[in-house]
Amino acid sequence: MASTVVLILFDSPNMSPTNGQMHYGARNPLTAIAMPAIVLAFLGPATAAAQVPVRDSIPTDVRVGILYQPSFRPGIVMPLVPAPQGLREVADSARRIILRDLDYSDRLQVMPVGEDVPIEGPINYGLWDELEAVWLLVGAVEGTPDQPVLRLSLHDVVFRLLQEVRAFELPPLAHPGFRHALHTAADAVVRWATSSAGIATTRIAYVAEGPGGSEIYVVDSDGFGARRLSSDSSIALSPAWSPTGDRIAFMSYKNGDPAIYEIDADGGRSVLSVDLPGMDLTPTYTPDGTRLGFAATIDGRTEVYTYDLVRNCCPERATFARYANSLSPTFAPDGRRFAFNSDRLGQLHVFVQGMNNGSAELITPYIYDRSVHNAGPDWSPTGDRIAFHGWVGGEPQIFTVAPDGRGLRQLTQRGRNEDPSWAPDGRHIIFASTRDGATGLWVLDVVSGRIRRLVSAAGARLPDWSGRLDSASQLTSGAAVGSESNNR
Amino acid sequence: MASTWKKSAGWLGTLVLAVTMVACGGTPPPEPAPEPEPEPQVEEQAVDEAAERARLEEEARRRREDEEQRRREAERNRVLSIIAERVHFDFDKSDIRPDAEEVLQRKVVVLREYAGVSFRIEGHCDERGSNEYNLALGQRRAEAVRRYLVSYGLDASRFTTISYGEERPAMRASNEDAWAQNRRAEFNVTRYGQLGN
Repeated sequence: MASTVVLILFDSPNMSPTNGQMHYGARNPLTAIAMPAIVLAFLGPATAAAQVPVRDSIPTDVRVGILYQPSFRPGIVMPLVPAPQGLREVADSARRIILRDLDYSDRLQVMPVGEDVPIEGPINYGLWDELEAVWLLVGAVEGTPDQPVLRLSLHDVVFRLLQEVRAFELPPLAHPGFRHALHTAADAVVRWATSSAGIATTRIAYVAEGPGGSEIYVVDSDGFGARRLSSDSSIALSPAWSPTGDRIAFMSYKNGDPAIYEIDADGGRSVLSVDLPGMDLTPTYTPDGTRLGFAATIDGRTEVYTYDLVRNCCPERATFARYANSLSPTFAPDGRRFAFNSDRLGQLHVFVQGMNNGSAELITPYIYDRSVHNAGPDWSPTGDRIAFHGWVGGEPQIFTVAPDGRGLRQLTQRGRNEDPSWAPDGRHIIFASTRDGATGLWVLDVVSGRIRRLVSAAGARLPDWSGRLDSASQLTSGAAVGSESNNR
Repeated sequence: MASTWKKSAGWLGTLVLAVTMVACGGTPPPEPAPEPEPEPQVEEQAVDEAAERARLEEEARRRREDEEQRRREAERNRVLSIIAERVHFDFDKSDIRPDAEEVLQRKVVVLREYAGVSFRIEGHCDERGSNEYNLALGQRRAEAVRRYLVSYGLDASRFTTISYGEERPAMRASNEDAWAQNRRAEFNVTRYGQLGN
């Protein structure tokens, strides 16, 4: 698939090109435009990244840009299917939720279709082919309002055959699990059509200002069902999902001494998890969920530790840097390595280190500049990239880099963009941004460059994207009835 | 036997009551009671003189005490304002600047004088760095201040440290001035010792 991403560079409009440190050789817009064409013509996408002196720098006087190659997104249509009396509302909601999820997957192009298109009788493949649709999704709602059933059939318009059909039992419309059941159905459709799972059955935990301080909030992947989880009236920061999605670890000042707490993903009381002497911060679970990675202060500095959650004991120090701070650990999917943030070189950088090997390797570019500040690393669940934010002209922007420090890419340009977190599909990133003036959480599709706002709330920040929440227990843990407000 | 004991106890009770009533009668102004109560009035004259003396003495004592109190209060305010004085830091630094050293020197003097006083050192940052890194940076600032004070021979157990990162800005704005104000250490007295709370 032509999902190639190519780095291009162009002069910052307010900078003189003469005093610029040009690391990439593109001095004027003309060459900048010409470059990707040349790269595409003569080099494969893999070598294109290698051509760029990636470890050189994040130039402060040059804008690093990204050109998203518009990848092919097969069109999908989901015509309106007449529903029996009493189920019309269910059918309408179901269609709306599924269409939005398909759109947000960024893997399919949702095509509009008139309401007058007939759907009765045998499928008229020719008609849909003329509309240039690749997939036809027919969703029929049957059963009773108490026990509605959604029968989804996905037709391959090009090959004129029924690809998949499956019935989804839905909770009643007012049930908190209704939306989640439809997210599950939408993810199934994405998998049938693209053989990659969608991200509809995920949630995002984040920090926002509550009535008595900063609190932990949770929102569904489509921006609905935003709700406050913690009620500590203190300072709560750095939420992190457990791999099973049933718990969220976070840091709180609620008992004076900052410590790590865990809270049920459907709310309730937070319970103390780790409290070493001094401050404990930036928790994250190991991919197997047996241990917690976090940072703690020792002798006035901060080091990364792990804590055994099964035996509920045994903090083990993982970083060793005298006179420096190490924090914000994030694990590779195999749990054998972790990335973290450290100022051991006099600037803030991202390092990668083996769990049983003490040597930390720098993966963000070192340059002699005081304004270097690379922070908030998050290792992609697919393992190939690490996202972080780095300063460009004093403003944080989202970058990704391979775990060996190659292939640095800048993904954002506008406003302050901070604290990225990967979706389980490894192609969507959520981050905090001021791009529209206010603070909010935005979702970026790294492949297509599509961007959308998910949450706008006072002080919304430090987002953490959950894994897929398909387990049955998650079905009932949705938002309470009536609190389902679109947060956007 | 038991009943006579009870009776004498009753007598004793009334006697004690009367004595205490007389004794207490000293403090209020010696105006004739509105209701004529023959028995206490007999002793009123003697009580009057004693009460007057006591009142004058009390007044002098209170004046002295007030003065002492005012002096103590002024001293206490002086000490507390010296302790509360914030120190500021350069961007992304935890070094003690010369102006901060002056502030800390004043603290060293009063801390030596008032050995019972303890406080918490709170490290704060401006909003520019990452939320999480600022927690570590704030901690480093608080520790730098603590190390400085301890290096002057002050007992380390008198100081605790906490970092609030960028979560508690002194000034809510996004400009150089606000940032400079927010990069600071604050001091929160946890034990007042001889200052009295």
